[in-house]
Amino acid sequence: MIRIAQLSCGSEYSGIQKEIERAAETVGAKIVYPEVSLEDILDVEKKFGVKVSSGDLNLAMARAVRIVENPDLADAVIVMTCFRCAEAAIIRSEIRKFIHGHSRIPVLSYSFTERTTAETLLTRMEALVTTVKYRGLLARERQKGLTAGIDSGSTTTKSVIMKDNEVIGTGWVPTTEVLKSAEDAFEAAVKMAGIQKEEIQAVGVTGYGRFLVGKHINARLIQEEITVNSKGAVFLSDAQRGPATVIDIGGMDNKAISVQDGIPGGFTMGGICAGASGRFLELTARRLGVDITQLGKLALKGDFRNVAMNSYCIVFGTQSLVNSLSMGCKPEDVAMAACHSVAEQVYEQQLQEVEVKEPVIMVGGTSLIEGLPRAMEELLHVKVLVPKNAQYIGAVGAALLVSGLLEG
Amino acid sequence: MSKVIVYPPTSMILSDLVERMGHKALVVPERVRELVTANDVQSPPLNVTPEEPKKGLRYAAVDVPSGVRGRMALIGPLIEEAEAAIIVEDPGWLTGCAGCSRTNELVRLLIRTKGIPVLDLSYPTDDAQAKLFVHKIKAFLGGLK
Amino acid sequence: MKVTKYVITSSESDILPSDIAMKIYGSKYDVSVKETCFGVMVNGEEEVVNALVKDIRALDPAGIFIKDRGFPPGDPRRCRGHRGGGARPGFYMIESESKMLPMISRALASSGEVFPIPEKKKKPLLPSRLEEIVKEGLS
Repeated sequence: MIRIAQLSCGSEYSGIQKEIERAAETVGAKIVYPEVSLEDILDVEKKFGVKVSSGDLNLAMARAVRIVENPDLADAVIVMTCFRCAEAAIIRSEIRKFIHGHSRIPVLSYSFTERTTAETLLTRMEALVTTVKYRGLLARERQKGLTAGIDSGSTTTKSVIMKDNEVIGTGWVPTTEVLKSAEDAFEAAVKMAGIQKEEIQAVGVTGYGRFLVGKHINARLIQEEITVNSKGAVFLSDAQRGPATVIDIGGMDNKAISVQDGIPGGFTMGGICAGASGRFLELTARRLGVDITQLGKLALKGDFRNVAMNSYCIVFGTQSLVNSLSMGCKPEDVAMAACHSVAEQVYEQQLQEVEVKEPVIMVGGTSLIEGLPRAMEELLHVKVLVPKNAQYIGAVGAALLVSGLLEG
Repeated sequence: MSKVIVYPPTSMILSDLVERMGHKALVVPERVRELVTANDVQSPPLNVTPEEPKKGLRYAAVDVPSGVRGRMALIGPLIEEAEAAIIVEDPGWLTGCAGCSRTNELVRLLIRTKGIPVLDLSYPTDDAQAKLFVHKIKAFLGGLK
Repeated sequence: MKVTKYVITSSESDILPSDIAMKIYGSKYDVSVKETCFGVMVNGEEEVVNALVKDIRALDPAGIFIKDRGFPPGDPRRCRGHRGGGARPGFYMIESESKMLPMISRALASSGEVFPIPEKKKKPLLPSRLEEIVKEGLS
């Protein structure tokens, strides 16, 4: 049984404690609370560095100190506090950094509302548990044999065929019917690889539709996209050893993952506002009358400062762009403003929750919209890598990881 | 007999002194009891469900954290019921139902602005202070109907 | 309605939690009792528990304190044995207040007069004196 230590403030009073426990139970984990004394709480500033006015946050910090001093007490940590609490947001972030800096225990940080459900937490918990449970598998650096990966995403379905550490076939189709799209992407990859389906030794599946697709094709590996994408990203970027940061701006949600030796150490998933998603860029391309594949190149010629955008909302943001065009703004400036807006929102809302260490790797279909990694570079002041086959990241990660199951 | 709310709302010392002086102490455990003995709800540990933060909207706006609103759903009705109050200065070790400082600030504010008699104190640190602490509480409670 | 109350003894009281438990076991009251580190928890019908705690308090009026508890004793939703270890957050408040009980007990037991404690106000340092200190410190 994986033990997840819960360091939190407010969950019991927000009515979501049961949801946290249900999500943990679903992924085969148990929530635990490290024992601390009253003195540990009263003296928390000496060891943690600060004491705040909310006692439950002091308790959470005291528990973090206890875990760092006794790493055997927990296999993973979740740090959860109320959304919109400034005091808690500071402490949540500091607890994450404290555990990250003093131990190798993976940490998940999340701010909740009363609307947070077990389903919202499930993928995050699954990733947390995977990093603990399959550390050996995640340490795999080379793909062996002939394997396939399918990434059943919310917007597009991707597939790759890999042989002896090389990608030999790819397929990419828009997601319509989940199963049919998976079959189509898979067929395309097989065709390009020039092999027979029967030759494939194992298939790994990830993405939103992983359970449905995985069951249908009897996949050897069905895995959430946090661990799979991390693995795929560091594999394709040749950054398997040491730290890395993976940013994946998807069709429906975004992931920011800090990785150490190919294993996620901390991550966030966001998906509340479509204004920070690939959808917004699609809408922008449509409004500008360019193909989505051309939007990025157009954006590189523009300057976001020339366009007034003061909303992150997909509706009002699009309205701002339309207004700008009617006021005579250049399409390239509008394209860059859209890229900047998405990047800025991910930077402000997600990258604050993970350790940003170089190399910073952007993956997923949106990373091919050149203006987006450029905007991220400007915000982070570091070079952003977009590896070859970045759009197939999940499928590559799945094909790589599943090859590890062929041995033994 | 008066209904007296105490702060911290889970204080053993204050609720004991109020009750031994013949008054009714309004305390959070009573509200928790109502929740945990309700048969039709299963939201452990406290049986607080997402409905409580919504009930808390009576005391704080939607942009106030859910943990504050959930706690206010427990404490707010006690404030409404209160006829007098004893407030002890925050000692720096409040946890659980009193573990959120924003909630505590709102609780103290709502008690003070209600217009009921309020006794302000600090926790004692020596015998002389303890004597005065008990004396003041006795005098305050003795003056209530 | 069934209620639960803590009966907590001051550490200086001659009455031990086990004495209280024994008294309840030998009494007419139909309640369940659980000993804890601070005292005992009593669970039963409200009127019965109220009458019982009145009797128990009489054992040492200044040294025994009563507190309401929301959960029944050993409730798996709150019991640390069932909930992944670690004390429930409210435990630390009882612990903190319990440390003050001997003082409160002595105050309750004393019938003597209470004198207000004069507030010690420090006089602000005169600028001329501060100037001297700075000069001394730097010389």
